[in-house]
Amino acid sequence: MMRPVEHLHLEHVLQTVGALEAVVLRSFGPHGGQVLFTRDTGQAMLSRSGTRILTALRLEHPLARMVVECVWRHNAKTGDGSKTFILLLASLLRMIHTAASKDPHVSLTHNSKEAAKAATARLLADKLLAFALDELDDLISVGVVPYGCVLSWKDFTAKTQSPVQKLLSSFFYTRLGQSNCDFISNLLCEMLTHWKFQHDPPSGSLQFINDNFPALHTPVLGFPISCSRLIEGQVIHRDFATPLTEPDGGSVKVVVFTGHLQPKLLNAGEVLELGCEALGEQENRGNGTSILHYSTFAEISLEYVFSNLQSLGVSVLLSAVKQSAAVLSLATQAEICVVECVSEDELSLFTHVMVKPCSLVICGSGEGQTEQYAAAFQEAIRMVLTTWEPLNTRPTTASKMVIHSHKSTSLHTGDTKPTYGFPCQNSVLEPGCVVPAGGTFEFLLNHALLQHISVCDNHESFPAASQLLANALLSVPRQIYSHSPRYFLQAQAMVLGSVQNHVHPFVMLDSGLESVSCKYHLVLAVLQCVTRLFQIDTMLHTHTRLNTQSRRLANISWEDTEDEAEN
Amino acid sequence: MALNGDDEDFEWEPPTEAEMKVIQARRERQDKISKLMGDYLLKGYKMLGDCCDTCGTILLQDRQQKNYCVSCQELDSDVDKDNPALNAQAALSQVRERQLASQSPASSQSAELNGGPSSSHIGVSVPQPRPEHCEGAAAGGRAPLPPPAVPSTSAPPPPTVLAPTQAEDAVLTKLRWATNQLQSSASLEASIQLCSLISSCANSLRSLKELSQ
Repeated sequence: MMRPVEHLHLEHVLQTVGALEAVVLRSFGPHGGQVLFTRDTGQAMLSRSGTRILTALRLEHPLARMVVECVWRHNAKTGDGSKTFILLLASLLRMIHTAASKDPHVSLTHNSKEAAKAATARLLADKLLAFALDELDDLISVGVVPYGCVLSWKDFTAKTQSPVQKLLSSFFYTRLGQSNCDFISNLLCEMLTHWKFQHDPPSGSLQFINDNFPALHTPVLGFPISCSRLIEGQVIHRDFATPLTEPDGGSVKVVVFTGHLQPKLLNAGEVLELGCEALGEQENRGNGTSILHYSTFAEISLEYVFSNLQSLGVSVLLSAVKQSAAVLSLATQAEICVVECVSEDELSLFTHVMVKPCSLVICGSGEGQTEQYAAAFQEAIRMVLTTWEPLNTRPTTASKMVIHSHKSTSLHTGDTKPTYGFPCQNSVLEPGCVVPAGGTFEFLLNHALLQHISVCDNHESFPAASQLLANALLSVPRQIYSHSPRYFLQAQAMVLGSVQNHVHPFVMLDSGLESVSCKYHLVLAVLQCVTRLFQIDTMLHTHTRLNTQSRRLANISWEDTEDEAEN
Repeated sequence: MALNGDDEDFEWEPPTEAEMKVIQARRERQDKISKLMGDYLLKGYKMLGDCCDTCGTILLQDRQQKNYCVSCQELDSDVDKDNPALNAQAALSQVRERQLASQSPASSQSAELNGGPSSSHIGVSVPQPRPEHCEGAAAGGRAPLPPPAVPSTSAPPPPTVLAPTQAEDAVLTKLRWATNQLQSSASLEASIQLCSLISSCANSLRSLKELSQ
């Protein structure tokens, strides 16, 4: 029996996202609290990470699951901003709802006020997304990037006060607290420096580390985080299957096998045809060819293989699969160490890396905590990768924005030429651009959007959209300074003052840093999520599972199978 | 701001003061609901894909598979606190306020009240029943709210009105008793009957008040 069809109301969307917002709100910001997760088995874990908190919630409501999926995907790409995502999403939805309720066009096509509201909201959301895809990067490059700082990858080393270290330090501060953020950011800086490929752009080496991070780090339980360090070489996360023989000295020769050395005689469904044409007629008579002959032949060839390996001086065998007992005993006799069931990632890293590798040992007191540290490292790498990823756009719109902002500044200052220089006038979002943390990006973008409305409200079709976005953006710093509204006003005044005086707020504020590129991706992701939410008309309840589990659900260790049983 | 460009804007007018209050109250209630839902989610409750039949709020389910509606089972009890039809304290305070207002020399106020519309204006001291409760009260078999009565400042209280006062006291006592019973009642049927008793007590109180004017 199928449950009835449910029509989506704006209020449902708001309520769902409002509940998710209430969940992450208390952990938001530099002074946000941690959530303690407990399992019935007694395991406990503390976390402040938005993605982790949201994916651990028990959510059956399809809208909520969809939103959490969007958050997860955004985090998988940029590594940052899950809680900000929800905040911005909720704020935008409320504003769209207010705007749609004010002016629901009950025309002939809509049979109810609700439907008219929903249609208006959908229209607004589409306009917002179109506006963002069209003009947001230009606005950011003109209104935000000049007040930030472009970090160069070339002169990035692991020195204590380098700006990249500061960027990482403020990232880890929000994730892991104050006590260890400097140490951890130092460690990561060292690792990034080591893996810097000299003549490649930074995104190349960062992508490499991001892809191979599971193979490049080793979690160790039972030690404090301060015991973590970088070690030379790559750690293969398997034990030896044969007794370890110390090498005599000099280089160690390793052979990698991806298949079985001794082929399995018979697998299910296979037919083994015995017969040997090279042997003469006498051997083939009667039952001369038998399975015994075949296995003897196989053993002899295996011995031959090992004597070859010995003569080549090979001392270690890395195998992707589990080898048979015969192989292991022969290896022991030949004093060759065997490591079985090595993962594909580790093997490919081992075989393909050209430089001397180094990997990270991450220590933590418990399993959950160590896993969190490792996740924080990976997210930091993704964040740095997003920051330095080059984004190219059309030069014409950039120059159009440049002209507009010249106009606006000349209105203010009376000069005919700008008194500050753009970092780059052709490509829009300069890789490596950062701004001070604490709402600076939101204040700057809000100001740029409002200016944009006042300048281009005649022929542009998106004044309402940019007004909505501008107002929604302010909800983020408002929440950061929720403990004191006075600080919010102070921060806003400081940022706007630096805009008026064309001074870098970077110089004045001594807070952490955050990446402009990550924020840009965040705004786009939120707008795409909003559009997706409003494209839903109806929810159909079914009793059977329709589609396979998403990748995300397979990764959750805290969500359990009892939900599936109930479904 | 016309999005479609049709000329149907004449249908929409800006909300009046009262409507703004309603909108504001509704928004606050929604915020409260969201906050409560967030707290329950963090406690391990599951957010279901279904909505409550009475109020349309998203349902939560606890570990024992019991469904829970945040607004019906938690928030509405707050609203009931202010509704004189369902709470003896609120009824008492409303009665006391009216007595206070009637004893004070309020000739100018009376002139204003006599001139103004008779049903909608209420003195600021009387708590106005929250509008969202009107929506919830329409369903679920609860008695409709009595319309807020005009404070009786127009005429001085009659000098010797003992009988109605005694009747008021009796009704108030019954109201108090019924409220206590309601708080501790576990059966649905009994609760419904107690609620109807309380609302009829409130009706009687109102009639007594009108009598004494």
